[in-house]
Amino acid sequence: MSDTTQFRVLDFDCPTCASTVERALSNVDGVQHVEVHYATGRVEIEYDDSVADPDAFAETIENQGYTPQPA
Amino acid sequence: MNKQSITQYYRNHRKAIVTATSGLLYGGGWSLGYLTSFEMASAAILVLATVVGGYDIAKTAYHEVTNRTLGIKTLVTLAAIGAIVIGEYWEAAAVVFLFSLGSYLEGRTMRKTRTALQELLEMTPDTATVRRDGTLQKVSARDVEEGEVVVVKPGGKIPVDGTVVDGESAVNQAPVTGESAPVHKADSDEVYAGTVNQEGALEIRTTGAGSDTTLERIIRRVEEAQEAQSPTESLIDRFAKYYTPAVIALAIGAYAVTQNAILSLTLLVIGCPGALVIGPPVSIVSAIGNAARSGVLMKGGEHLERAGKIDLVAFDKTGTLTKGETTVSGIEGFGVAAADVLSLAATAEKKSEHHLADAIVDMARERQTAATDGGATVAQADDTDVGRRSVPDPDDFDVVAGKGVIAHADGQEVVVGNRALLDDRDVDVPDRVADYVREREGRGETVVHVVRDGDIIGAIAMRDELREAAPGVVAALQDAGIETVMLTGDNERTAAAVAEEVGIDEYRAELLPEDKQSVIEGYQADGHVVAMVGDGINDAPSLATADVGIAMGAAGTDTAIETADMALMADDLERIPYAVKLSKATRWNVLENVGLAVLTVTVLLTGVLTSYVTLASGMLVHEASVLLVILNGMRLLRY
Repeated sequence: MSDTTQFRVLDFDCPTCASTVERALSNVDGVQHVEVHYATGRVEIEYDDSVADPDAFAETIENQGYTPQPA
Repeated sequence: MNKQSITQYYRNHRKAIVTATSGLLYGGGWSLGYLTSFEMASAAILVLATVVGGYDIAKTAYHEVTNRTLGIKTLVTLAAIGAIVIGEYWEAAAVVFLFSLGSYLEGRTMRKTRTALQELLEMTPDTATVRRDGTLQKVSARDVEEGEVVVVKPGGKIPVDGTVVDGESAVNQAPVTGESAPVHKADSDEVYAGTVNQEGALEIRTTGAGSDTTLERIIRRVEEAQEAQSPTESLIDRFAKYYTPAVIALAIGAYAVTQNAILSLTLLVIGCPGALVIGPPVSIVSAIGNAARSGVLMKGGEHLERAGKIDLVAFDKTGTLTKGETTVSGIEGFGVAAADVLSLAATAEKKSEHHLADAIVDMARERQTAATDGGATVAQADDTDVGRRSVPDPDDFDVVAGKGVIAHADGQEVVVGNRALLDDRDVDVPDRVADYVREREGRGETVVHVVRDGDIIGAIAMRDELREAAPGVVAALQDAGIETVMLTGDNERTAAAVAEEVGIDEYRAELLPEDKQSVIEGYQADGHVVAMVGDGINDAPSLATADVGIAMGAAGTDTAIETADMALMADDLERIPYAVKLSKATRWNVLENVGLAVLTVTVLLTGVLTSYVTLASGMLVHEASVLLVILNGMRLLRY
């Protein structure tokens, strides 16, 4: 089943950083669609919940050097 | 402070700590080299400064490269490594420190923009007091079910959307509608989550809780609006697609000619279109956020940029410039008692949904109820059961759009309508009727004729009071150099009187709903950028035709929010000059930011190619320009 989750990242410091996070998230297993918005800091992830591990999303964002907050 | 809280503190302030450490090392290393001859020590400290400041940047750069994107962090990392390789330790430390400081400040300021809306969300309380099983229970606001009754004490925030079932109070609705004055709420009035109950206790039957409240819907809409690309943004994105490879080509070309690696790296770093890409979204996000807090929903950057070019505002008259509460102001009988004119007209109009019909039927009910009570009390006037019985149904009834109604009752034919309908039906209009009508219309009232079996027996004059704010709003728009027009279905004379009272530049009268659309198209054909203000439901087609459709009083109506480009949550005409001026300010702000960015890049590129600008000074100017556009954009948060 497909599920959606959101994060808020308040410390994006450039638009490319947001697109890098978007790419990194879309490479996580089971992720079907990702939107990362630089201007609002909103991250929306659509994923297959039988494959994806939602904990991996926050970790991926942290690995890129940003702080995800639950939205 | 224990160990855990130190780690926590470090994690929360990592960027600041890293930047400060790198800066201190940089300053120390530089002074050591400048003041003493310990060059090796100085170089070592500068390299350390580069490593400390550059570690996080390099880490992100690594991710950029593995994700096959070319970002500024990759370029900065390359530049720093390059500088160290050729022994320019000072340059390496400076570029890393300046970039780190710049992005720390950028992140901090952008956080302010990003959290502007969250203040609105925090208006909703976390808990609600609910009447369950005969007792009052405190539960999480998200768990309140539809239909449950919530109790809100005076001074408390309302946790859910709902209707008042008991109590009476003044409610401050600023978070939802932007109105600063509290609104009186009593039985069956709608209230919104996040608003503040100021006076008396209220019991509210829940219609929406959790994420299903007006405030939450507004915030979701606003975020979608902020995230939608404006035309300037898409233009810049398209431009950046060619620009970035062009800078890379230039850097390679420069290296081929000069064999100067630092020069090429400098070109790459300062050639990044940072300010250009960041500026417009910051302006637009700030403006949309500001508008939302004032009760104006803007649909997106595209609409905002278009609204910045508005030079003509068309107002629908009824319900927009006027209060939309039409009441009967005079009844004249011609050879028939006024009371009979009213009751006959009321019967004919009973099944009509026109606002003039409502006024006539309401008046008839009021008169009859007052009469049955001997006029001693009006307490019964609200009792609709009595009222409904008192106006008899017509036998049949037909609406003639824009003209009136034709009905049959008690074997008589009754026509209630305007002059056009009478002319259609060859009804003779005596002079004294025409005089009465002319006199009333000259005062801005609307008059309908009442015709029984082909003879005029009376006329009913109706009045829809102007909103107090209307003349001021029109004047404010005129001061801003914007033309104002009033569109109405009313006759010429009534329209002229109202137009004069409001001080509007121009009016178009006797318009059918579809005519309003063609009037707007006409203005557009003349080269105007037209905004249309209406209620969002009846005026939906003309709102859609206009360049910018502005719906009023949209808080309760989702359709209005959907169709309009801008929606005023409150029925507050005074927001219109604000919204138009904010749009214009935003358009300028975007242009300023684009101009500043282009100027910076041009100056820097020229400077680098003519060797006036070094890696470190280039980085300083580059970061400063990015901060400047962000701060400039953020001015719109406080507009």
